[in-house]
Amino acid sequence: MLVRFWGTRGSLPVAQHADTALTKVVRALLIARGREFADEAEAAAFARTEMEFATYATFGGATSCVEIEGGEEAFVICDMGSGLRDFGLSALRRCAEGHPRVYHFFLSHLHWDHIMGFPYFRPAYESGASIVIHAGHADAEQALRRQQEAISFPVPFDELKARIEFVTHLPMDPFEAAGMQVTLIRQTHARGSFGYRFEKAGKAVVYSTDAEHRPDDMDFDEGQFEAFFEKADLVVCDTMYSLAEEASLKQDRGHSSNLVAVDLCHAAGAKRLALFHHEPSYSDDDIQRMFYETLRYEGLVRAGRPKLEVVCAYDGLEVEV
Amino acid sequence: MDWGLRNDGGQLVASPTGRVDEESWKDFSTQLNAAVQEALAGTIPVLVIDLSGLEYMTSKGLRALTVAKNEARGAVTIRLAAPNGTMRRILSISRYDMLFPVVDHVDSAR
Repeated sequence: MLVRFWGTRGSLPVAQHADTALTKVVRALLIARGREFADEAEAAAFARTEMEFATYATFGGATSCVEIEGGEEAFVICDMGSGLRDFGLSALRRCAEGHPRVYHFFLSHLHWDHIMGFPYFRPAYESGASIVIHAGHADAEQALRRQQEAISFPVPFDELKARIEFVTHLPMDPFEAAGMQVTLIRQTHARGSFGYRFEKAGKAVVYSTDAEHRPDDMDFDEGQFEAFFEKADLVVCDTMYSLAEEASLKQDRGHSSNLVAVDLCHAAGAKRLALFHHEPSYSDDDIQRMFYETLRYEGLVRAGRPKLEVVCAYDGLEVEV
Repeated sequence: MDWGLRNDGGQLVASPTGRVDEESWKDFSTQLNAAVQEALAGTIPVLVIDLSGLEYMTSKGLRALTVAKNEARGAVTIRLAAPNGTMRRILSISRYDMLFPVVDHVDSAR
């Protein structure tokens, strides 16, 4: 399986300001210190090896959308945030090269940042495309239709030409889709959300975003999630807040922290953790600092376990599983 | 994890030793909440957690501190004293050093 991140930001899409780009260029010039490069490829290689990620790149600003490549004869996509637009354009190119025009979506929940990309999903406007939308919420269709009502969007849902089917699933009741075994878990979030575990050929990927792990429910809640994450090859986890924020000022907002994600993955024996659903007010520097702190924490509490590999998701990241 | 509790002239001092992790957090939380209740019952305004004997604490231990703070309902102040280097880094990474006063010595928590 190949996991491809099209949108990694939480709550609200984020765009870079002009000054942000200028700051990156200035830093890069100071690091290069007049060095000459034969071509762009050599300059890019220098940037990747000599600069921090937040200097030469950006974590991006599109909201949640993650593709899991490896489904049989179908695309597999978690959530429809604003990152879905770019996925749709990529999918059209791949379909032109022969990929079946079949899409299986798995919705964590129906909040706006997780469905806002669908009206801009070009394949939905194609008569030959087939779209299956899997959700734990029975009112997924209502949510998608409502955001294309005239007050919000010029093209009504009924003008979409693809064949669109909605399927509602129960938690902890595994089913087959696109050649994968899929299991949902109910998560704590406003109006509830669902995490997904995808398994195929002995590999497991978990997508768990918009999930709060409350201090007053650690025993029951986290026991469930440790089992759900068990020995996963990759866990994509909501790490929007610091632990202190999650447990105090932002309690009941429905999000988790980097420390809880590490502890759950350690207890579950997971191999790799992807930090995800980044706080929209965070700059690239803030996200990078959170990433470094997570690496440090993982090392401090590893206690003889195998190392948990931690990656910080960004728009465009690909992780081979 | 082992646990000690003493009344030290107007403040309760709890002394956990070892690690607070997924194996021991429930015991830590139980002892901590009992200490808060003892402070409330004795109208002792300060509970100091002497961290000098603690190797480290994971997120469950930290969140147990939050539960205890909620139990204290503002009537008992919980202070963290004498963390080792590892605990100091964990308190910083988690931002728990912004939720709880952290002091270098048990005595300076007075």
